[in-house]
Amino acid sequence: MSFLLKTLKSTSVANAVNAVGQAQMQAKLLHTTPVCYEIRKLARLRVVDNSDLGKRAMAEGRPPRCIHVYNKRGIGLVGDKVLVAIKGQMKKGILVGLKQKQKPKIPKFDSNNLVLIDDNGTPLGTRIHVPVPTILRTILKEKTQAKGADYTKVLAIASRFI
Amino acid sequence: MMLAPSRLVTPSLLRQTVFTRVVTFSTKAAPKEKEQYSNKQTTNVAPTTYRFIYPEFLPDPKVEWRNPIREKLERLDMIDRRSQIDIPEFYVGSILAVTSSDPHAAGKVSRFVGICIQRERCGLRARFILRNVVDEQGVEVLYEMYDPTIQKIEVLRLEKRLDDHLLYLRDALPEYSTFDTNMEPEVMEDGAPVPVNDIQVRLRPRPWLERWERQNLKGVSNIDEYLTDKRRRTAKEHEKPWEKYDLMKQYRSTIPEEEQKEIYAEVYSQLHQMELQRKRNKRKRSFVKPTKLA
Amino acid sequence: MIKSLILDLGRLRLTPLAVTQVREKGQLSRPHLRNPTWFLRKERKMRDNHVTSENKSFVQEIVQDKYGPPALIKGVATYDQSKREELVKTEKIESEPWTTASRRTGVIARKIGQYPLWLKNGERIRTTLLQIVDNHVVKYIPPELYKPAQVPSVAKLNSYGCLLVGAESCDPSTLTKEYCGLFKDSGLLPKKHLVRFLVSPNAAIPVGTPLNVTHFRVGDYVDVRGKTVDHGFQGVVKRHGFKGMPASHGVTKTHRRPGNIGGGGEKGRVWPGTKLPGHMGNRWRISKGLRIWRINTKYNVMWVSGSAIPGSTNGLVYIYDTILPLRKHKTAPPFPTMFDQTLEGPDDIWFDAVHNFKDETITFQPEE
Repeated sequence: MSFLLKTLKSTSVANAVNAVGQAQMQAKLLHTTPVCYEIRKLARLRVVDNSDLGKRAMAEGRPPRCIHVYNKRGIGLVGDKVLVAIKGQMKKGILVGLKQKQKPKIPKFDSNNLVLIDDNGTPLGTRIHVPVPTILRTILKEKTQAKGADYTKVLAIASRFI
Repeated sequence: MMLAPSRLVTPSLLRQTVFTRVVTFSTKAAPKEKEQYSNKQTTNVAPTTYRFIYPEFLPDPKVEWRNPIREKLERLDMIDRRSQIDIPEFYVGSILAVTSSDPHAAGKVSRFVGICIQRERCGLRARFILRNVVDEQGVEVLYEMYDPTIQKIEVLRLEKRLDDHLLYLRDALPEYSTFDTNMEPEVMEDGAPVPVNDIQVRLRPRPWLERWERQNLKGVSNIDEYLTDKRRRTAKEHEKPWEKYDLMKQYRSTIPEEEQKEIYAEVYSQLHQMELQRKRNKRKRSFVKPTKLA
Repeated sequence: MIKSLILDLGRLRLTPLAVTQVREKGQLSRPHLRNPTWFLRKERKMRDNHVTSENKSFVQEIVQDKYGPPALIKGVATYDQSKREELVKTEKIESEPWTTASRRTGVIARKIGQYPLWLKNGERIRTTLLQIVDNHVVKYIPPELYKPAQVPSVAKLNSYGCLLVGAESCDPSTLTKEYCGLFKDSGLLPKKHLVRFLVSPNAAIPVGTPLNVTHFRVGDYVDVRGKTVDHGFQGVVKRHGFKGMPASHGVTKTHRRPGNIGGGGEKGRVWPGTKLPGHMGNRWRISKGLRIWRINTKYNVMWVSGSAIPGSTNGLVYIYDTILPLRKHKTAPPFPTMFDQTLEGPDDIWFDAVHNFKDETITFQPEE
């Protein structure tokens, strides 16, 4: 605006009105949709279990980064398995609560929560210290296959469901 | 009572309804009609507070989407649902507890307590967002008011705030949105005005989710601390002080008062019955309590 | 004198020199456009011919005397013709039974809005409300007489008759004489809208029969045809959902343009079907296989799944039985239509899976 005003000094009043109008139009044309908060590669997450590794990473202020999402879309939703880089290691984890907009009756959290698991689906910690959405019960049950990893163990260490 | 004539289309009424639009409470002088209707309809004057208590009964003001029959059917459905559960009066800033049945925890109910930070949409789509901080984790749940899986909506504290929405609580310090899950409902006197809580919250430093400085918020105390000169200037540039004089905009975004009265006169008798029933139940409960203790 | 001239001209034509070769017939071969007989000028030109208010009210009186008093029937402003039996002849015909090959008539409806319903499993569905607006059968043309100039793309057209259905009665004094003449034999009040439906001969309905929402049942599937909202001439971003180009990073004047539209060399031309800017909307579109979730017999309204029915709110749409093979009628529907107008029972008919708002709150029981 300031540079516009400077240039305006020399021009006529009618032109000035035009230019201000154009500047306002430009401001309106800016695309301002709300942020999606999608979990994709390099998204930083928050470890919410009491595993040693996770606790140290969070205390140091070096939260894990998502380096892969195990689904076809590449964008993590509640209950999806992700690969994270945490303190120089690669660990797997399950998303248990997202900042993203959710459907009615499904809670939306203020942070993107992660529970670390190993390859068998066993959580590294022994307790989750934040609430967990109940829809995880259905999702994780569906994802658990007969001979694959058993993700429902994550539900066992949850302290509170919403 | 009021609905009966519109629901049962009798030939005698039809003659009146076809060519002259029946405006039950017109501001214009209509001496003859007044005499006719005065006996029947004086009892059906809905209180003017209804538009704040039941805002979702007013349709979307967008003219292209309006249709009187659709709106009537929608209102009938809303009243049918309200006859099943009690949807109380609440406002943005009130503290609610919603009990709903959960398909992911069959046989159990889930109860969520929180402050209402937003109310939006109208008709059967009406919905609100509850926010709370549980285990130091901010949680929000979006509920649809007429969702048949909701079993109970309780108002724990009935109050208003200074703003139309409290979405800025997401960027405020967590203590402003922390509420006890086992809160007891606060009892208010009948007919007392809804108190306005003029608390001003403190925001966390930037980054914020929205540009709160542009929204002319009254419930935030420290917004100025975090603003640079540039942000202050841009906020000023985006001000629209002329909008309050824009009568056309106001007209397009609201339902005219006459129409509001028509709508509320239609649903008044049923809503009033429900209110009376609720009061009776309350009295019953308060009467039962001492016997339990004894 | 003239005679001899004509003869001379005739001789000239016979001479081989005068034969002209017609390679391209051009305009000559175009068939004469024969509109259907009911395509007549509808609106009368309203002239300020000094009709006094007494005369106007007299005309209204005549109309009411002939067609009955104005009435609000099923939420639609029309005239009460029920007591005028000499006008509306709706005797029930001896109808043949329904077969899978028979084709019933459709109805004319208005899209009056949309709102959600909930299923009994707690799921929310989006529904559109369609109101059937004062429909009556105006005319039936049997298959042997129905020879349309513009042949619709329907298989075995010559085995179907044409049923003319009208919707929304209106004041005949505003219409032309020719248009009112269409309704002369039926005894109906002139209708604002006329639509033809192709029906199999066994689904023919006598003239003057009202068509109501009970023509359909809950749980059935319908196709809904309507004219989409007119957006005018639009660019590719709105019309085809292109992404456009970035707002900055050196992009000049090409933020919402289509970009490249084809290659060079052998394929060096614009291929047919390339998505480009153009007129958007205002086309006839059919959304097929929509389930009827709920029916209100009092206002003639049906709740149909989906929120993207072509047309604007309060716009006209036509409802047909679906042609999707897996969603066609399995059992006999009301055939050729529901003649019984006095239906017992509640106004609202709900599909089994839909939650009635009068019912108790939904609870989920654990599986045994």
